[in-house]
Parts: sequence; structure tokens; C-alpha cells
Amino acid sequence: MNARVGFSIEVAALVIAFFVLWFLPDVTGDYWLQLGFRICIYLTLAHGWNLMAGSAGLVSLGTSCFVGLGAYVAVESLNGFGLPLPLVLVLCGVAGGLLAVLVSPALFRLRGLYFTVGTLALSELLRLLMVNVSTFGGATGLFLQEDPPALPVLFRYALVVAVVASAAITLCARTRVSVIFRAVRDDEDAAAQMGVRPFRVKLGAFVLASALGAAAGGIQAVKLGAIEPYGMFGLQWAIDVLSMVIIGGVGLRLGPLIGALFVVILGELLADYPEAHIAAAGLILIVLIRFAPHGIVGFAAHWLSLKLLKSLKRVPA
Amino acid sequence: MTESTTAPMLEVRGLVKRYGGLVAIDQVNLEFRPGTITGVIGPNGAGKSTLIGLIGGAIAPSAGMILLNGRDISRLPASERARAGIGRTYQIPRPFLDMSVAENLEVAQYSLAPFVPASVAREEREALLARTGLADVASLQARALPLLRRKRLEVARALALKPRVVLLDEVGAGLVDSEITELIALIHSLLDSNTAILIVEHVLRVVRECCARCMVLNFGKPLIEGPTAAILSSDQVAAVYLGTGGDRQTIVADTAQDAISTVHVGAPEAEASVLASLTAPVVASAGGVALLQLAGIRAGYGQARVLQGIDLTVETGQAIAILGANGAGKTTLARAITGAISPSAGTLLIGGQDVSGRAPHQIAKLGVAHCMEGRRIFPTLSVEENLRIAARNADAVAVRARLEAVYDLFPILADRRSQGGTAMSGGQQQMLAIGRALMARPKLVIFDEISLGLAPIVMDKLYEALALLKEERMTMIVIEQDVDRALALVDHVYVLEHGRIALSGTPKQIFADPRLRHIYIGAAEDAAPSKGLAHATC
Amino acid sequence: MPDIGIISSTIAAGVLLGGILGLTALGLSIVLGVMRLVNLAHGDFLVVGAYAGLFFLQFSGIDPVLGLPVVALLLGGLSIPLYRFLLAPLADRGAEAQMMTMFAVSIILENIFILVFSADTRSIARDYATYPLTLGPVTVPLIYLIGFAISVTVILVVHWLVSSTAFGRDLRASAADAQAAATLGVDVKRVQMLTFALGAACAGVGGTLIGAAFQFSPSSGGPYLLNSLAVVVLGGLGNVLGALVGGVVLGALQSVGGLTLGDGYRDVVGMALFLLVLAFRPEGFLAQGRT
Repeated sequence: MNARVGFSIEVAALVIAFFVLWFLPDVTGDYWLQLGFRICIYLTLAHGWNLMAGSAGLVSLGTSCFVGLGAYVAVESLNGFGLPLPLVLVLCGVAGGLLAVLVSPALFRLRGLYFTVGTLALSELLRLLMVNVSTFGGATGLFLQEDPPALPVLFRYALVVAVVASAAITLCARTRVSVIFRAVRDDEDAAAQMGVRPFRVKLGAFVLASALGAAAGGIQAVKLGAIEPYGMFGLQWAIDVLSMVIIGGVGLRLGPLIGALFVVILGELLADYPEAHIAAAGLILIVLIRFAPHGIVGFAAHWLSLKLLKSLKRVPA
Repeated sequence: MTESTTAPMLEVRGLVKRYGGLVAIDQVNLEFRPGTITGVIGPNGAGKSTLIGLIGGAIAPSAGMILLNGRDISRLPASERARAGIGRTYQIPRPFLDMSVAENLEVAQYSLAPFVPASVAREEREALLARTGLADVASLQARALPLLRRKRLEVARALALKPRVVLLDEVGAGLVDSEITELIALIHSLLDSNTAILIVEHVLRVVRECCARCMVLNFGKPLIEGPTAAILSSDQVAAVYLGTGGDRQTIVADTAQDAISTVHVGAPEAEASVLASLTAPVVASAGGVALLQLAGIRAGYGQARVLQGIDLTVETGQAIAILGANGAGKTTLARAITGAISPSAGTLLIGGQDVSGRAPHQIAKLGVAHCMEGRRIFPTLSVEENLRIAARNADAVAVRARLEAVYDLFPILADRRSQGGTAMSGGQQQMLAIGRALMARPKLVIFDEISLGLAPIVMDKLYEALALLKEERMTMIVIEQDVDRALALVDHVYVLEHGRIALSGTPKQIFADPRLRHIYIGAAEDAAPSKGLAHATC
Repeated sequence: MPDIGIISSTIAAGVLLGGILGLTALGLSIVLGVMRLVNLAHGDFLVVGAYAGLFFLQFSGIDPVLGLPVVALLLGGLSIPLYRFLLAPLADRGAEAQMMTMFAVSIILENIFILVFSADTRSIARDYATYPLTLGPVTVPLIYLIGFAISVTVILVVHWLVSSTAFGRDLRASAADAQAAATLGVDVKRVQMLTFALGAACAGVGGTLIGAAFQFSPSSGGPYLLNSLAVVVLGGLGNVLGALVGGVVLGALQSVGGLTLGDGYRDVVGMALFLLVLAFRPEGFLAQGRT
């Protein structure tokens, strides 16, 4: 009923957006494509974060683990094997999923705050390892041997990744799967008593989010042409994703989109003052957490309080 | 005793659960046959809920086996046991609060059969909801449900698993007689030839009317097992669990450890001096200002508004009781008085001073002590530290005197003074909670449901202590579900119903008032007419 | 094969530095216990202490070790408005809102450091500090021993405070059940504020000592936060003496790691150990005391 209508609307919106934006490179110049690229990458990461937190109760500060992994996998597979880019991105996704599976037994023993801290520690560990291990370029990093494809091509790849991410979220939030996710998020033990296997559910969300993050990292690496540990495994990714989801609104369907737009635009405005930019992001976060805990989207929904708007925006997650 | 010839559906063999040095379950053997309802009863701390946790899979056994239709499920996690057909309810209902009632059921349905067609699932859901009396609230958020409905939801959720074994964990707790009647009807409707039901209960009426056989657990060990009627009339069981009613006969020494920790009973003059350091001096206030006054108090939690305008007065030296069915607002009232929740309307006056909206520690400073529901003992503090923390703004000499008084009142606490606050039985913890409230030398004490979950023997002891305090003219508010004991103690009674004061008067008046019976018992027939208004609860 | 002198000196140095780590971790531990808050700005408080010690020395010429009480007061004083205006209003909202706020504070602090102090790595250099102390095969700089001694003293004082005073009782009760504590008359908000200030002071003092014994930069906060978390987990949440033991263990293992695998691997060892302990014994190796 309500969920079915929401599902159809979202799928339709997604398809339309995809087709419209596919032709964006034909109508605008590089500057907007750059912005669009960034928004797509950020949107993908924010969707993944939202899925983990809003659906399975996992608050992650370790986004950079998977972004970095995707970046290095992409560069190595392009340099070493000359694989076509679509395959490379799929490979990145698979790698991200595999890493998630690998660390999940340890990470999932941690509940609540400990899980968050664990993701932070994991990303630091990977960064330190990549700095010290010279086979992957050590502190200097790696270079892409061939020139990266042109910006319009890169933009379209990023668009595909973002659309896949959005579709995945729609599937998780608007189908019967959503009830299972929410049960695990609200009360894991009671959910287990209902026959839900919490470990598998959490793993599913984690793997999906990680695969998406790695794919985003892969395409980002290709665009940069040169990667190194501080940039790809640094805390910057966690900061940006956190800013996005808090600004947009945690668990809200349109939250990642609004958040991504906001963060990218803010970055553009303060592009010449990186420290001020980050400090400003921090201040905005503090203010929002205090006065608008449901982010801009939540705030707007509260103000507008149109029933239709609410049912579109409120993910049952 | 007729033996069923069908094979047992669920078998428990030699089940043991240890927590460090504490043996919670000690060699329990049970068999459940399809088409039967079995009861497990026992005093507080006997291990009844642990047993459910062990069978349901939330707790892993230290030794022993659990067999479902001959298959060993002892090492299976809870989710697998649920899928194998074991459904359980929780003693304190745990619905998924932010989901609707229907969605709560969907969780079980879709985890069992992920690809079931939506229409089939909906039909099954509607049937279940009708069966458990929840059809009218299908789209309501679980958070908005009152207690009895939540318990129904617990049962409905367990049923959505299409279970072959149903484990009901103290479903009768916190319900009044009319609600229990409905519950018993529901339990009977669950029974069919393919289902086995295990009921763990404190409310003996449920056991008496539902279970053909029952077992008594005491300190984790099975004491006796057999047909329900025989069990409930056995002297041995009476001694250990039911208490001895009016007489104070000798208790079987090795089965009633709680009785050993008696309240100090000495000569009246000695009693007076013992308690003097704990009771604030009864000063007749100038102008006859009441100690506590509530006017038009409204309060609640978030969306739920519980108290709908309460007017109440407590004079110095008075003992009043606040009675009412579960959900009437008794504990909310206590919380409003102590400041744990802020009233949304109305005024709260303590000694004539308006303290509405003040923080809890400020109200505590004014001499209000709350012996909290559920005891709330600090596990990381020792018994003595738990006591000391309540004695604030008092010099060392005074604190020492108060400590001695509490140890005198409850000698078992002195024995355990350096042990962790929760390393004791429920009854002893309740004594600690009472002692802790007294350490503040309060002007007003609120005793909030101190008898919940305790065996009658222990309740007798606690109420002896309360009687002593009353003799010292300590101002007290007694919040209780057990009507008899409260009426015997206090000077004035208020009865709450749906957040309002429905009745007010002396114990005699209230006792005789037919409306009291209606509030508690409803239109249904009382199952134990000879006990008057008392539930057959323990 | 490095000689026994180097090995034992390195391990000794690790142990002594570990004592200082224990002190900083203590601040994190008590805040986590009482407020259920993982203070993600903890490492940055440490760096504030280091900068404070450095500039205190530069402006007044007084040795930073003597200036430690000033650093403690400074951190304690700064943390109180932080608690009152940023954390206290979020007290009813659940642990995540406060944690994210401190995360934001952390990134603000780091960027303020870069803006005001530049991104250079610094150290509080004092001549006597590097004076080598020799005992048998072991040689360590004097400052390591001084830092260790001060850290242990402070930890013992805090332990006494938490286990034997009325404030300590209030602290432990607030950590166990804040609502019940309030009903019994404990001013929980005040306890939390003082605990937060105490935690910040410990972090600051530890930071000055680390600045004197080691080095720091605006971005040191993150690694030291994670080190402190590792110590908290090793020693047991809320366990004051456990923080000391955890710190020493971590310090020793980090030195061994650096010695055997190479200097860049010191932090790797710390992180790997942290994750291992988190995975297998999140409640810490030492049983949680009644602290």
C-alpha cells in the first residue's frame, strides 16, 4: 500500500533522473561535470552510510577503508592488467565486499559505540599499513600509467555508480527487507527470537555499503590519476560523509542527496581556504546536531508538513 | 496420574547454568508433550526466567541437553530455534517500538518465509491479530500500546513463527484480575494437539487455571513436580513459596533462606531509639501546611500523557497508599513527585514551597526519598557505599549512626556490607533499597512497589519494617499492587484509574467500596472469592 | 642482532612512555564510564596540552613540568564551557549526538592548530630532559622517567579520588545508573561536568609530558585518540589502575614492534593490538573493578 506506492515513485524518479543526467555532458561544460562527479561520489558514500546506520544500527567512521581499497584495486588492475573500466569497477565492488566479509567476524562482536570506534581504528590501521608497505607505493602512492578517460566518460561512470547505490537503497527501504533491517536495528536479541539472523542482516548491509564505497573509490582514483595513502585512506572521507548525512538527515530518504549537494557547494565556496572549510563544516555540524537533529530534510519536512512530502521522504528505516 | 503415550516434543535433560560461582539452574529435567500446558513456579530468584532463556536460546547452557523432537538443539542460537518452532515471549514485553503492530508480525513472517506472497502473509496476519484481540490496532505503533496489549503482541509475534513450542515468561505479571481472565482465555485458545506450552509464572491463578501439571523450582533446583492441584496444596511448596498467610509458623530451614534475614524485632523502646536517627523529626509545621501537595498535576512520557490532573495532599506523619491497576499511573506519580519527570501542568508543593519542574537532586535535598520501583541498586558500589551515597549533607557521626540503624533494622545487610550491591537475592536487595531511602533521613518516603516479584514470606518481613516506621510517624507514600497489605498499613488511600484519582478515603471506606472491586476485577467473576479482594498472586 | 642494551632500553622507554599513555587514556576512560561518551576530541585535548606547555615555556621560561598544574587548570577550565554549552544540552539525545559533536570539535581544533600554529611538528625541548639515565644495560632519557613518575602519581591520586571519596562514589553511581543517582540526590550534571574536566585535565597533562618526551603536530590528535582507546580497552572501561597497566603494556609492545619491524610500524602495532583486543575481549583484559 504505502510502501508499494513509495517504491514505484522512487523507481520512476530514479529512471527519469538517470536518463536526464546521462545527457548532462552534452549540454554543460567541465566545471559542472566536475561538481556532478563529486556529488555522485559523495551521494554513493552517503547512501552506503545511511544503509548501515539507518537500517542496521551500525554507525561507521571507517568509510575510508573501502574508498582507499577501491582506489588501490582500481589503479593496480588498470596498470597491471589493462582491464576495461566497467570490469575494474565491478572488481572494486567485489573487493570492498570481500574486505567487509573478512573483518565482519571481529567487527560485529562490537556493539554500539565500540563498533564505531572499531571502524575508525580499522581505517587508521589500513592507512598506516599502506604508508609503510612499499609494494603499494608506500607514502608516495601509485600512478595511473595510462591517461584517464575524458571527464564526460568519467561523469557517466560515476552517475551509474550513484544510480546503482540509490536503487539498492530503494530496494532495502521499500520492500519487505526493510522490516527485517529495522528489527535488527531496534532490538537485535528480540529479532533473533523472531527467527532473524542478525549477523547476516548486518553483514548484508555492511557488504553492500562497502562494495558501493569501494566502487566510488575506484572511479575517484581513475579520475585523480595518482593516489597516495593520506588522501585515499585519510579521515577526510569519514568527515565528509558524516557531514553529509547529518546535514541531510540520518535515515531520511532524501538526506544523502541534500547533504551531498550542501557539502559539495560549501566546498566550492571555500575552495581557497581548506582549513576554514573544514572548521566551518565542523561548526555547521555542531549547530545542526543541536538544533536540527533531523538535518535539513527533517527540518524542511517538519516545516512544510505536507503529508505527501512526508511519505516520500521518510524512509521506514 | 495419567501418562501420555505420545513422545515428548521438547525434552530438557540435566540442564545446568552457572554464572561464575552462582548456579542459576541445577540439573533440571523436563518433558513437554504436544497438547499440554506445563507450569513452572518458584520463588524469586529460583531461575524461572533463566530456564526460558535457556530453552529459547538467548542463554547458552553450562551443561545438559535440550532436545526438540529428538534433535539436539542445545548449541543452536536463538534464531535457529525460532525457525525450528520455538516461540517465546519476554517477561517485560519487547515489541519493536517504532514499528506498527502488523509490522512486528511481519518480522517473524518474513524471516521464516522470505518469499511468501504478500496477500497470503496479510491473511495470516489478520487471522493472528483477530485471534489475539489486536485486530483494531494493526496499524498502530507498538510504542502506543498499553501493557496488556503489548503482552498480546508478544504472544501474537511468537505465534507468527508457527511454533510447536510456546514459552510464556511471566505473562501475568503486572495485570489485574480482569486482565488475567482475558489472558487465561487467550492461553487456552492457543492449545492444540500439535503445540506444547510452557508457562513460567508468579501469578498462581494462571497456573491453576491453565496448567495440568507443574513443577516447582527453588534456587535453580527442581523441588517437586506433578499435577497442579496437588502441587499447589502441598505443604512443602507452601512453606517455600506461598508463605504461611496469617500465622508465623516455623519455616523449613534449608529451603527458605530469605526468611533467615529477618527484620530485627526487639523491645519497643529499643526500636524507637534504633529508628530515631533515620526518621526526620516530626515538626508540626506552622499554619498546618501540608508536607506534600499536588494540584492539577499532569505528566507523561513524550507523546503518552499518563497523569490527567492529580490533586493530592499528604500531611506530616501520615501514611497513605496509592493503589491502582497497572498503567494507572502510580509510578509516574512517584516520578512526578521526585522530579524525575517534569509535570506538564499543575503545581507541586513541598512544605508549602513550589518546586514544580525542579531537578530530582534538588527535590531530594528537600527531604523526599524514593525507594524506587525495581530497586535500582548500584552494582558497582558495595552495600555500604549504596547506603552512604544517600546520606548527603550529614556529618560523619550522623552518617555512622544512620548506618548502624539500618544494619539494626536489616541485619543481613551488615553481614554483606562490603559486597557488591546486587550480589544478593531480590528480597535482600529490596531491604537495601529501603535502607538506602532511609539513610537520607527523609521527611517523606515513597515506597514504590516494593513487593513486586518477591515471595510472600519476604513481603511479610518488609511490611513489618514498614509498620515499625509508621509507628515512628514517618510520613510515607506506599505504592502497591497488593491491596491487602497496603490497606492494613496506611491511614488514607487514593486509588488511581487511567491517570486520575478515582477513589479516596480511609482504608475501611475503600475496602467496602464496590467500585474498588470494579477497578481491579472488572465485570468478570473473582476466581478466589474467599480471599476477598486479594489476588491469588504471590 | 641489536645488542641487549638497545633492546632493554627500547622496552624500558616503551614502558615509561606507556605510563604517560596510561594517564592520557585515564581521561578518556572516566568520561566514557560516566557519560557513555567516546570523546573523539580527546587526542586534540592532548595536543592542546602540548601546545600549552610549549608556549608556557616560551613566554614564562618556567619548565613545563612545573607548569603542569597550570595546564591541568587550563584544560579543565576550557572544558567546562564546552560541556555546558555543547554537551549538556544533548544529554537526553543519546550517546551518538554527543559523540558526533565532539567529532566536530576535534576537526575544528585540528584546523585551528594548523591556522594558528602552522602544521610543523614540534617538541618541547629542554636540555636536562634528554640527559641519559643509565641503570645496567638500560639507558633512557631523564624526561621519560620524570614523565612516568608524574603519570603514576596522578593516576594513583585519581584512583584514590574515585574509590575512596564521596565524589568518587557519586561518579561511580552516575556511571552505573544516572537516573537513580539523581533521585538519591546526586547532581548528575555537575558530576558529569567535573568528570569531563578531570578527563580533559588528564589529557592535557599527558599531552605536555608527551610533548616534552616525544613530539607532536596538529594532526597528532587522531593517532593519540586511538592509542588511548586501545589502552582503555586493554585496561578495562572505567578501571583507573587498569589504564596504567594497559598503557604500560601498549607502550612496551609498541617499542618491540618498532624495534623488530621498523619505526613506522609502532603505530601499526598499536592499532592491530587494539583491534585484536576489541574483537576478542571488548571488556578489557582486566576484569572491570568496582571503580
